[in-house]
Amino acid sequence: MMTQIRTPWFWLTVLSLALLGLFVLYPLANILTASVIGDGPNGWSRLMDNPKYLQAIWNTLILATAVTGIATLIGVPLAYVTARHSFPGKGLIALLPLITLVIPEVIAAQTWLMMLGNNGLITRALREIGLRLPSFYGWFGLITSMSFIYYTYVYIGVVSAIARFDVQLEEAAQSLGTAPGISRIKVMLPVIMPAVLASALLVFTMTVGNFAISMILSHRLPLLSVVTYQAAVAEGAADITMQSTLASVSVLIVMVVLFLNRWIVRRGKYEIVQGRGAKPQPLRGIKGAGVALLAGLVVLISLLPLISIILGAFTASRGPVMQWGNWTLANLERVFVTAPQPLINSLTYAGIATLISIGFSAVVSYLVVKKPNVLTPFVDYVSAIPLALSGTVLGVGLLASFHGGWLPLSGTAAIIVLAYVIRRMPFGMRNGQATLHNIPNSLEEASISLGVPPVASFFKAVLPVMLPAIISAGILTWTTTVAELSASILVYSGGRETLPIQVFRLIDSGLMAYASAYGLVLVAVILIPIIVAARVFRIDVFAVK
Amino acid sequence: MFLKSVPFAAALSLAMALPALADPVLYTSNPVPAYEAVQAAVKAQAGVNLGVITGGSGVLLRRIEAEAAAPQSDVFWSSSANTLGAYEQLFEPYASPALEAMMPELRYPGDLFLPGNLHVVTMLVNTDQLDGQEAPKTWADLADPAWNGRIIIADPANSSTGYTIVWGLSKLLDEATYKAVVANMVISGSSSNVPKGVAMGEYAVGLTYETNSYAYVDGGQEELTLVYPADGTFTSPEYAALVKNAPSGEVAKKTIDALLSKEAQIALLEVAFRRPSRTDIKVSDYVALPEIADIKLFALDEADAAKNREAFLAAWAALPKAGDVE
Repeated sequence: MMTQIRTPWFWLTVLSLALLGLFVLYPLANILTASVIGDGPNGWSRLMDNPKYLQAIWNTLILATAVTGIATLIGVPLAYVTARHSFPGKGLIALLPLITLVIPEVIAAQTWLMMLGNNGLITRALREIGLRLPSFYGWFGLITSMSFIYYTYVYIGVVSAIARFDVQLEEAAQSLGTAPGISRIKVMLPVIMPAVLASALLVFTMTVGNFAISMILSHRLPLLSVVTYQAAVAEGAADITMQSTLASVSVLIVMVVLFLNRWIVRRGKYEIVQGRGAKPQPLRGIKGAGVALLAGLVVLISLLPLISIILGAFTASRGPVMQWGNWTLANLERVFVTAPQPLINSLTYAGIATLISIGFSAVVSYLVVKKPNVLTPFVDYVSAIPLALSGTVLGVGLLASFHGGWLPLSGTAAIIVLAYVIRRMPFGMRNGQATLHNIPNSLEEASISLGVPPVASFFKAVLPVMLPAIISAGILTWTTTVAELSASILVYSGGRETLPIQVFRLIDSGLMAYASAYGLVLVAVILIPIIVAARVFRIDVFAVK
Repeated sequence: MFLKSVPFAAALSLAMALPALADPVLYTSNPVPAYEAVQAAVKAQAGVNLGVITGGSGVLLRRIEAEAAAPQSDVFWSSSANTLGAYEQLFEPYASPALEAMMPELRYPGDLFLPGNLHVVTMLVNTDQLDGQEAPKTWADLADPAWNGRIIIADPANSSTGYTIVWGLSKLLDEATYKAVVANMVISGSSSNVPKGVAMGEYAVGLTYETNSYAYVDGGQEELTLVYPADGTFTSPEYAALVKNAPSGEVAKKTIDALLSKEAQIALLEVAFRRPSRTDIKVSDYVALPEIADIKLFALDEADAAKNREAFLAAWAALPKAGDVE
């Protein structure tokens, strides 16, 4: 203990914990305490008495499990073929899934309905040949649409882990007499497992917290996020018992899953000594075409919403009615000339938030993985809490905590940045930790033993090795931050609308043409850093080549 | 990277934390074309830029409640009396000069809330989705089992539109017919999905205000028609209100004056199909909607609807509906 206190790492841990305490625990505590105190019977007994709430919790668990399973089954093989093989159209296939991250979920749900709803294109075509699909409202639609959006997180989380995987391990296994296929699974799987689990955890929590798609597609199927929202609307701010109780349930679910995830990662520790990545093997002929076709199909399905945004952005409209085939630039003119404020706001707030998130999560994941002390487990747990908070819960908590008082942030741009950082910092954290598990301790120990002080060693020896991972985490943070909606829509103030808020407003008003134009610009804003990283800085962030 | 970015970010955050200019702020659940018309009127008449925060009316009212110690908004414009009634303490009365031109029956006691426009409930019917069925003419027509799962309505627990309609139906229809109509309904969590669902052909009939429905007819979707039920339909004034201790003071009042002005109400009628609350505007001069005098109405007691809200919603929740999950 005493030796720990003397290191600068210990004091950095204390500082991190203090910041997390103020901006994560304090707002959360404000909400959680309300589930047991307050007027009337406490929230937990009311929860137990109401079969609808119990049904909602059960449904949410089933949905999250199904979506996580399917998203992993799509994401991991796609990551594997892109990282280890080259095939026709690979460049596009490796890049395009990123776009699905940024398509507003409301637009995605709308597009799925255009295809598979009661009056959808595919539904009607199948009906004509005598096939009746189950209603898209409910399980079918929820599982399909969420799986085809969230597989992207698995893909991104796993692709860099597979690309960095040291092929020498695999070659060693083969030279020891194991068959190529089996050796690959036996040696690679344990090493990429932390990344797979981290991504799966992310998908699970995002499904539990998903609001936009659940709202549109669940209809009468009770889901936790929807009943929480309904309770919040019905209760108001005077009595927040039921909404806090339901929010606490989702927090508990995710904490349990996180605990399982850590337990599995702890059981096996794998470090890669040199990290010589594999050179992608070309796939030719039938096999190459088959892989390209399958991967292309997955990507195409998840890109349908993007296609509808592109067409919509250039389509003329009168009120909510689209005049398909009648092209115009008026919608984009609105984004850049008539009403550019949302674009400017998004760039400013998300830019600052990304810098803060990345700096903070790089330091904290380093502390947690490489410099554990008595406090780091707490830092780890607390920094993961925002994953378990839906945006709505976070927004309400921030407003309740930083309105007036000694830190009056509400009504300022700072609270939007704060909401962004709290919500998205765990993304970088999960990926940072997964990467650090693969960087050997010997590297830094060598630097220190050569006389370089610990903090300087971090900057000179560890940081450069982490850099590619930090940059790719930075881009992931940027993409998800720019697209953040559910927390910022609660804390923003007049004139501080961001692009997603504007898209949401316009969709809610039924103005798909304008919404598509803002949505298209949002997609561009997200893609530009990825392209710049790849082209200008030659950083192969997502193993595209 | 972390150490370098902290002072930089801190400086930027401080700069951003400075309060925005004293422009008035409007909280509303109204759609973009509607509040843009109001923004233009406020700019022209009061010379200030109106900031707008949108969200569900329940969420916004909660936010005003949470901000009561240091209000961030000046004007609230959304919702009917059956929703606003529970939040009277958040607002202060304002006897705007514009009230003289208002229909007297729309005024709220003490002028705590000011009528901004008048909503009329209609059926939006997609004639491509009738499947040989005749389009409904009355509310009672919707009791026919042929409409099962083909009628969409916003959840009355979350939407004042949905609540007004279902409450009205429970008063207008006899109990058996009311239950049969409810049994045919599909409940949507999002009220904007009602006209959208009918316009997309997902549903044959959508029950919502004419302002939401007519935009699709005006946009040129010829298969859509508005039906004003022959057994009488329901109206609900939409109110604007001055937030207590509004930070922009007198400017907040000018904002309300502008919102209630003849110019703003005409613009709202033209772009957003909001029926005016003023008596000096002839609707058919501007849009192809019937005059209110030509629509058969069924009067509802909004105070009664607000008072019995909880009991009514509990009974409503127990009724079987189309698309129920077993």
